[in-house]
Amino acid sequence: MKNKTTRLTGAALPGLICLLMSLSALWASASPLQSRVTGSVTDTNDNPIPGVSISLKNSNTGTQTDMDGSFELLASPQDTLRISYIGFKTLLLPVGNQTTFNIILQQDITDLGEVIINAGYYNTTRREQTGSIARVTAEEIERQPVTNPLAALQGRMAGVNITQTTGVPGGSFDIQIRGVNSLRAQANKPLYIIDGVPYASETLGYNQTYGSILPGDGLSPLNSINPADIKSIEILKDADATAIYGSRGANGVVLITTKTGSPGKTRFQARLQSGISYVGRTTQMLNTPQFLQMREEAYANDGIAIPANAYDINGTWDRDRYTHWQEVFIGRQAETLNAQVSVSGGSAQTRFLLSGGYQRQGTVFPGDYTYGRGSVHLNLNHQSTDERFRINLSTTYTSDQNNLPQSDLIRLAYQLAPNAPELYDEVGNLNWENSTWNNPLASLERAYEVQTQTLIANSVISYRLFDALTAKVNLGYTTSKVDEQVTNPSTAIDPAFGRGSEFSSLRTNDASSHSWIVEPQLNYQAVWGNHELDVLVGGSFQDQQRQQLGIYAFGFASNSLITNAAAASTLRITNNDVREYRYVAAFGRINYQLNSKYLLNLTARRDGSSRFGPGKQFANFGAVGLAWIFSEERGVKDKMGFLNFGKLRGSYGITGSDAIGDYQYLNTYTSTGTSYDGQTTLEPTRLFNPNFSWETNKKLELALELGMFNDRIRSTVAFYRNRSGNQLVGIPLPGTTGFSNLQANLDALVENKGWELSLNTVNLDNKAFRWESGINLTIPKTTLKSFPDLEGSTYANQYVVGEPLNIVKVFEFTQVNPESGIYEFTDFNEDDSVSFADDRQAVVSLDPKYFGGFSNSFSYKGWELNVLLQFVKQTGLDAVYQNAIPGGGANQHTGVLERWQQEGDLSRVQRYASGRVLAPALGFAYARSSTLAYSDASFVRLKNLALNYTFPKQFFRKLQCTLSVQGQNLAVWTPYTGNDPENQSVLSLPPLTTLTTGITLSF
Amino acid sequence: MKTINPNTFLCPLKRSALFLLLLLNLTACESFVELELPDDQLYGAGVFNDYTTASAALTDIYAGYRDNTLLTGNTEGMSYLLGHYADELDLYTSSLPNVEPFNTNSLLPGNPYLAIQWNNSYNLIFAANSILEAVPNAVDLTPEQQNQLMGEALFNRALIHFYLTQLYGAIPYLSSTDYETNRSASRKEEVEVYQRCIEDLARAKALLPQAYTNASRTRPNTWACTAVLARVYLYANNWEQAAEEAGAVLAQQDYYALNPELDEVFLVNSRETLWQLAPNAAGGNTTEGPQFIFSTAPPPDSALSTVLLNSFENGDQREQAWVQTVTEGTNSYAFAYKYKQNTNTTVSLEHSIMLRLAEVYLIRAEAYARLNRPAPALADLNALRQRAGLTPLAGLDGTALLDAVVQERRVELFTELGHRFFDLKRFDKLDAVLGELKESWDATDRIFPIPQNELELNPNLRPQNDGY
Repeated sequence: MKNKTTRLTGAALPGLICLLMSLSALWASASPLQSRVTGSVTDTNDNPIPGVSISLKNSNTGTQTDMDGSFELLASPQDTLRISYIGFKTLLLPVGNQTTFNIILQQDITDLGEVIINAGYYNTTRREQTGSIARVTAEEIERQPVTNPLAALQGRMAGVNITQTTGVPGGSFDIQIRGVNSLRAQANKPLYIIDGVPYASETLGYNQTYGSILPGDGLSPLNSINPADIKSIEILKDADATAIYGSRGANGVVLITTKTGSPGKTRFQARLQSGISYVGRTTQMLNTPQFLQMREEAYANDGIAIPANAYDINGTWDRDRYTHWQEVFIGRQAETLNAQVSVSGGSAQTRFLLSGGYQRQGTVFPGDYTYGRGSVHLNLNHQSTDERFRINLSTTYTSDQNNLPQSDLIRLAYQLAPNAPELYDEVGNLNWENSTWNNPLASLERAYEVQTQTLIANSVISYRLFDALTAKVNLGYTTSKVDEQVTNPSTAIDPAFGRGSEFSSLRTNDASSHSWIVEPQLNYQAVWGNHELDVLVGGSFQDQQRQQLGIYAFGFASNSLITNAAAASTLRITNNDVREYRYVAAFGRINYQLNSKYLLNLTARRDGSSRFGPGKQFANFGAVGLAWIFSEERGVKDKMGFLNFGKLRGSYGITGSDAIGDYQYLNTYTSTGTSYDGQTTLEPTRLFNPNFSWETNKKLELALELGMFNDRIRSTVAFYRNRSGNQLVGIPLPGTTGFSNLQANLDALVENKGWELSLNTVNLDNKAFRWESGINLTIPKTTLKSFPDLEGSTYANQYVVGEPLNIVKVFEFTQVNPESGIYEFTDFNEDDSVSFADDRQAVVSLDPKYFGGFSNSFSYKGWELNVLLQFVKQTGLDAVYQNAIPGGGANQHTGVLERWQQEGDLSRVQRYASGRVLAPALGFAYARSSTLAYSDASFVRLKNLALNYTFPKQFFRKLQCTLSVQGQNLAVWTPYTGNDPENQSVLSLPPLTTLTTGITLSF
Repeated sequence: MKTINPNTFLCPLKRSALFLLLLLNLTACESFVELELPDDQLYGAGVFNDYTTASAALTDIYAGYRDNTLLTGNTEGMSYLLGHYADELDLYTSSLPNVEPFNTNSLLPGNPYLAIQWNNSYNLIFAANSILEAVPNAVDLTPEQQNQLMGEALFNRALIHFYLTQLYGAIPYLSSTDYETNRSASRKEEVEVYQRCIEDLARAKALLPQAYTNASRTRPNTWACTAVLARVYLYANNWEQAAEEAGAVLAQQDYYALNPELDEVFLVNSRETLWQLAPNAAGGNTTEGPQFIFSTAPPPDSALSTVLLNSFENGDQREQAWVQTVTEGTNSYAFAYKYKQNTNTTVSLEHSIMLRLAEVYLIRAEAYARLNRPAPALADLNALRQRAGLTPLAGLDGTALLDAVVQERRVELFTELGHRFFDLKRFDKLDAVLGELKESWDATDRIFPIPQNELELNPNLRPQNDGY
């Protein structure tokens, strides 16, 4: 039985006053008298441990030990102290009448015994979590020489598939959490939350400026987050974990938590890393003799005389030249540098952390290009002496600058004839070889430059109204500014056009976004005997605005003025995009535990989004999570001694997605920035449909978590099934409708199900040597379960019911006709002709069959070695079919050497052809869209290797020193034909191999 | 101080439920998620409450012609691409893989230029149709303003369909913005497309005013519309009406006259112009100029073909005035020099001309020739020949007269909006002329393939045109 005194102070927070007033009427509980409890915490060697968390179980009250390992807090005799610290076993001690505690913590060999897991609006532990949350810590992130936080997650989490789209610095990553839920490709992105503040992951860049150099989503906003500032990244996967994010949880939630200070002596740390990056793997391309033979054979096969503009073979270009274009264009070593400093410390009441970082990365392109990022992170934490009032302030400011060529040169490395002319003439000017080619280095005259500034600020203010009840408000503000420009000077144009700087042009994009969020919350925690209850209710108000202003400036008096739009003779606004997005929600969570064995977690959210038309704005989402810690059952405890932890959990719930873009339900006209007769023109913005609404995603999960032999073996096996319906899509429409798509809900059902397995073991552990392994494996399966009238819809050639979403419908290759030497394909509809419209019936799935990672870490005295292997089993684009027709002007993969040459040849590659004769040209066009063009792109990659040596403690007196060697993407084992099986592109740089050495000093 | 019953832990549950309800009420602020429109957008209905914005919706079609559809002078437009497809231009560069198939008549349905042309054209047709649907209900506009907008929208709808049917053969003729019908539209034979064009143009002709809305003739008047009507009648083998409509235009001597100076024909204030496109900015000139003009040899992109250059009669002053040659050693290369500006000037000197009087003479000449009235036909041809410093033709009739029309059109209208290709097609000379000249010419190349993506998204457009 508990009695609680009402102690309502007047310090209620704005925004909560009305709530609290109604609460005070409702609330009439009491609290017993508390007394001061003091103590100290040491390890088994009697060394004091600072920063140990001491809290009262089932309440928000708590403190941390100071430098001497001492602590002090208020507690009542009924309370239980919970003493926890990373790397040590958590202790629970009833207070009783004791007022002084001398606590000795035992080291926990698994390190992960009682880690607090961030679940967004609340925290949980591995033991108590009812949902599915994957986690990566600072330790793992810091081992990897990367600039984008997502790069640090690759291969480390079950159920999370991350693909790098380009090796160009500043580029983006694709992330899929438990597969693809939406038919709309852009709507499969997770929600990013940084310290409680939603972070817009859509780029502020403008496609017309970054489009040729950065693929995919372009400029990734996540580059504005310094990986060194991150304490942990949690990914919420199932309904139980994501439903509290309601409409935006459908594709999972990525929670990024930044570092905070710990109390005690002021601590300085400095880290310096430098190294190189390069393209680790080259593609086998034809050399000059092979290429010339191909070209001549092509014209001979086609029966066409060598034309006047076939400069490579008609004698205009030197037939003896050979240039390894990959070496020229992407063969350089890029330098990387990473410097981080931080200072942290504080008292039990106030803690701080201030850190600064600078990162610089070159490119593998010829020319002087760099990506540089500077960042400052400040975290302040304060609590009143009575521990009722707490405030946490976290601010990050990042500024980055990226200088790049206007387009990715890798394309040229694959396409240029190996005997193409010299790049420069004798005097060092670009060589245009009498206008017979477009000098590829001309594109280096065109420069892309972008500057980004990002500020992320958030504050959490909480006040404990009663022992059991805490009011809290989360305030956040983020702002980002992007300035992009791409120049196109007249010097990039063949001088034969006779164009001076009056033809030079500049495109700029000034974009910014601002968003704020206010989230008042109330948290109630109570214990009655064997019952534990934790209730959270809250509201969320969010506003996000973004602006983009694109300017096209044309005609300069001199090329030296080209970066100054004001110096242009003509200025045109190409894009003036202003958008606002508002979001309002109420959410709640009820967590109930019985006997610390049976757990129930209910979450609910009601969401309103400005992205929908009147009457469609609001919807409800929610989930139920259940867990049974069966290892607590007496029978299990007695009979299965080896099992120290066993939990069975399951969840089911509904989340949603409103990822459709803003204002899509309106019938509007847009001013496009073009003008006519001196007046800006207006064009219809879209085909409009005011009636679309939320996409819903129903998630089911069942999981078994085990800890054996004192947690030396820990495993989780999870089965999930997500079903996404009421698909919110841009239905592709034929051009005759005037547009390419229409926003609407489609009654199609997409199912993602799969198995996730993670296993962590401590293989060896003695005083000197420790060896740990971790493996994670995901076996996903996406299926289009239903799609009414798919055949009659515009998706007919894109999807097949019963198959995954990420498929291609292609021709089925049968043979290269031994007589004609031309590709042949199955005539599915048996109409004696093979046509694009009817005969692409073979289905190739591009989804991974399974993927995962295998990590090992070894430590011996001061040495530590970590190795991560990433593996993916998948089918991808075959590089042999990515270029233009073999025999046309472009160079080719050596795979084409296997071509048909004479009657009777049996080959899988058709005869060389110039592209001017229809039959082989069509044959090749079909082959590019056939089963031939897809092949095994599975790979095993040595993703990360990190070797550290930490000097013994007293070696440099107080100074602690660690030396490290780190490597990323060091090797890849794959049957893939092209450059890299991950991005599978001939247009974008592959992920680079990076090698660094570093030193960390702290005192 | 109050105590709670310890045995009922349900109590707090009830309380939490109450909080939840309370919060739901507090936050169900529907107004919070209702937003104002951003500055760059206007409500559809609002656009037509004001003549300036309604007019801006219409002129967007012309901006589209100028910048990125069939009628543009850059690489995406017909002047350039059909110049290659027929026998007007030779391709010198090896770095335009998507233009080369036009030059060698080996187009594939996936060629990106086809999709650009098709999609942008139907996007403008949608814009025209949405004006036609909105203007009758726009009560704030005066009847004159309504007529102007309706007339121009009909004119443009017809014009785009006309060009599309030239390129693709049977096409859908769309007269509504309803995507449900447009997404499954079927193709109409050329004859039917012509019929629909004629209906639209006849309506437009009645709605449009005689006078131009501005001095630079950047928006069509009733006579520009009549000239297009004459052209469609001609293509539809309706010679009588073609001659009649062309005659009606030629009679408007207050507005139009052939410009005696060949160097002034393509200037901005030429009295020969029926309709031209305003540049994107003050001081801007045409999109054709920078596309065609080059200064050193060999040509960096394309040059006029030898067969075209050889087709000029001796003494044809058009060859001097409208063709420029660049020489390197013993080789010389020529480009179309009708438009002489390739960059911005202080004041705009040239606009891209969409319709000019010379074509109207040629329409009437051809119609008379087909009607077997050689005298007036020759008179119209000779009007152009005389201006070019050539001796008048006399005594021709039948096939010889028709050949004279084709020849005159070739040298008068070269590199203008695909005329040469359409002429060869209309006179059924494609196989004879292009088959002779180009190695990979096939009879089925007379029309382009329907863009690949369209056939996949709309089965009613199938089958693909022959030969693809």
